[in-house]
Amino acid sequence: MKKEHASFNPYDNNGGTCVAIAGADYCVIAADTRMSSGYNILTRDYSKVCKLADKCLLASSGFQADVKALQKVLGARHLIYQHQHNKQMSCPAMAQLLSNTLYYKRFFPYYAFNVLGGLDDEGKGVVYTYDAVGSYEKVGYSSQGSGSTLIMPFLDNQLKSPSPLLLPPQDAVTPLSEAEAVDLVKTTFVSAAERDIYTGDKLEIVILNADGIRREYMDLRKD
Amino acid sequence: MELNHEQQTQFGPQADSQRTLYPYVTGTSVVALKYKDGILMAADMGASYGSTLRYKSVERMKAVGKHSLLGASGEISDFQELLRSLDELILYDNMWDDGNSLGPKELHNYLTRVMYNRRNKFDPFWNSLVLGGVKNGEKYLGMVTMLGVNFEDNHVATGFGNHLARPILRDGWHEDLSYEDGVKLLEKCMRVLLYRDRSAVNKLQIAKITEEGVTVSQPYSLKTFWGFSAFQNPTVGAEGSW
Amino acid sequence: MENSGGFSFDLCKRNGWLVEKGIVKPPSFTKTGTTIVGLVFQDGVILGADTRATAGSIVCDKNCEKIHYMAPNIYCCGAGTAADTEAVTDMVSSQLQLHRYHTGRESRVITALTLLKKHLFGYQGYVSAALVLGGVDCTGPHLHTIYPHGSTDTLPFATMGSGSLAAMSVFESKYKEGLTRDEGIKIVTEAICAGIFNDLGSGSNVDVCVLTKGHKEYLRNNLMPNPRTYVSAKGYSFSKKTEVLMTKVTPLKERVEVIEAGDAMEE
Repeated sequence: MKKEHASFNPYDNNGGTCVAIAGADYCVIAADTRMSSGYNILTRDYSKVCKLADKCLLASSGFQADVKALQKVLGARHLIYQHQHNKQMSCPAMAQLLSNTLYYKRFFPYYAFNVLGGLDDEGKGVVYTYDAVGSYEKVGYSSQGSGSTLIMPFLDNQLKSPSPLLLPPQDAVTPLSEAEAVDLVKTTFVSAAERDIYTGDKLEIVILNADGIRREYMDLRKD
Repeated sequence: MELNHEQQTQFGPQADSQRTLYPYVTGTSVVALKYKDGILMAADMGASYGSTLRYKSVERMKAVGKHSLLGASGEISDFQELLRSLDELILYDNMWDDGNSLGPKELHNYLTRVMYNRRNKFDPFWNSLVLGGVKNGEKYLGMVTMLGVNFEDNHVATGFGNHLARPILRDGWHEDLSYEDGVKLLEKCMRVLLYRDRSAVNKLQIAKITEEGVTVSQPYSLKTFWGFSAFQNPTVGAEGSW
Repeated sequence: MENSGGFSFDLCKRNGWLVEKGIVKPPSFTKTGTTIVGLVFQDGVILGADTRATAGSIVCDKNCEKIHYMAPNIYCCGAGTAADTEAVTDMVSSQLQLHRYHTGRESRVITALTLLKKHLFGYQGYVSAALVLGGVDCTGPHLHTIYPHGSTDTLPFATMGSGSLAAMSVFESKYKEGLTRDEGIKIVTEAICAGIFNDLGSGSNVDVCVLTKGHKEYLRNNLMPNPRTYVSAKGYSFSKKTEVLMTKVTPLKERVEVIEAGDAMEE
């Protein structure tokens, strides 16, 4: 006999798109602020960008409850790290921690699509991109979430990254200036909002450089 | 590897009888908004047993602690259990006698963790919760779903209210809404819900929370209009047709 | 049994089985995840629609038309699978035209309604068209909703599609009898906007159609509330396409001799 009631589904998709671009002396991390469920907009102003350490930012879309839990776990682990080492965690270390944290739940995954952006020890921009169960890669730029299929090919076209197979290894950072990168991010999001129904309302851009963290906001389509 | 008893019941064949697979007695939408002095919240008093309107005097908004107001839609028994455990939480918090008390922000965060924890155990509290409150001059309004999805906003609505009330709220809400205008806006939402949500009943309460505390109104009804002439004689002009 | 045209359902069972086994994924259709509305005002009927067409989570048409022509005095908004709404309205409008040639009289809304519901009922909901039908005929203004299974409703105001609840929230709080033309257009536009901004399946612009006795006014893109929010000052350049290095045409040599005529093919 067929089941009369739909069984409990522990996941939801709350949509949203994230982008990060690494430059020679900066990192730009951006995400839209729409949170939706099905065809409903739950709120037009929910920040998807989370500061994990002084030089490390995480943008995540997917299932908000899992994303929040993930951010809390990373926050707690970072606090322990600070107590033990008396310093902020570096970006590569945080990247590995995030991967481990995701893989720890391999068989009941966090439904979260992450891009981690930050500065390395030399102040150079770095971006790490993930899947939901912890596979990750260091790249020069990346996009995750509902609009990533629209954004990624455009970024590939504009910021051709050197092949990771090249020897000697080439630097993954993009050749753009900070202002150019911000401009590019704005354009990608405006275009994604035109065609992806889960992306819109407002764009939050976080810029990380030697001066610290700066946030910029821009309106997107609200339909 | 041997499974211990708890794991067995959680995932084994007896599991079904242990969790809420679907709700039994449910309440429908809760609508809430920020206004000049605090938070206003509205909910009707009906509770359905499947599609039967079984209970007609269920209170779905309750004060929690000194600074918060909790409203719920969904499974009534889960809500009442949650209220019991929150009362316990508030009591134990009071016993420290350190002058501190849980504010709406803390309670909302606590609720997000409780709801998410239950979903992780595949034994959810089958509710959408609305938490409003005022503490130290700061207004707070947030929502949590049964999966643990949570957010803050200037106005929120659960269940059917998400479809029918949010459009009205987005259109009519502004920063310094007076008490009277706030109530008017909520009544506008509740009236539309009454017309279009089959499990809504015309007996509702409006709750208010300010720095002074919580007041929940006596139950009352809204005026409705059913007199459109097209309702009177729908087949005029094509007698005897559809 | 004698076949008399229409759809073939021979493969429904097989397809259902394939989908259930996960062997194939069903194809995605262009759905007009839509807000469509209509209301009766003092001199006639006003219809409204948004202009977004979606395929899953992607917008595939930002400015499509969802108010379809049925007859000079009757129009019909469509929600559901785009192909179905278009096919079903085109078909019925053709039947109405033939009927007008035959009788020499103006079409009636009730005729369109009957043709539509008979067709949809016959296909048991498989033709997924949810319609708002409006028009003015010799018996006055009429507004109906038609569900995919063929049930119909006669109403003073109506909404359909994924944004129907958002739009209905406007109608339920603002509609009254005896609205003027301008009041009517304003409420219809507001209702569509509620759908556009609150329902992710609806978006872009507002189309309106005002039908009065002996007159129609189709206001395409009556409101365009979603302009582009940012245009880069510098523009973008894209890398050169693949260059043509050499052009040389080699004519094909004939290898076989073609003999004209021969035995006629068996029928």
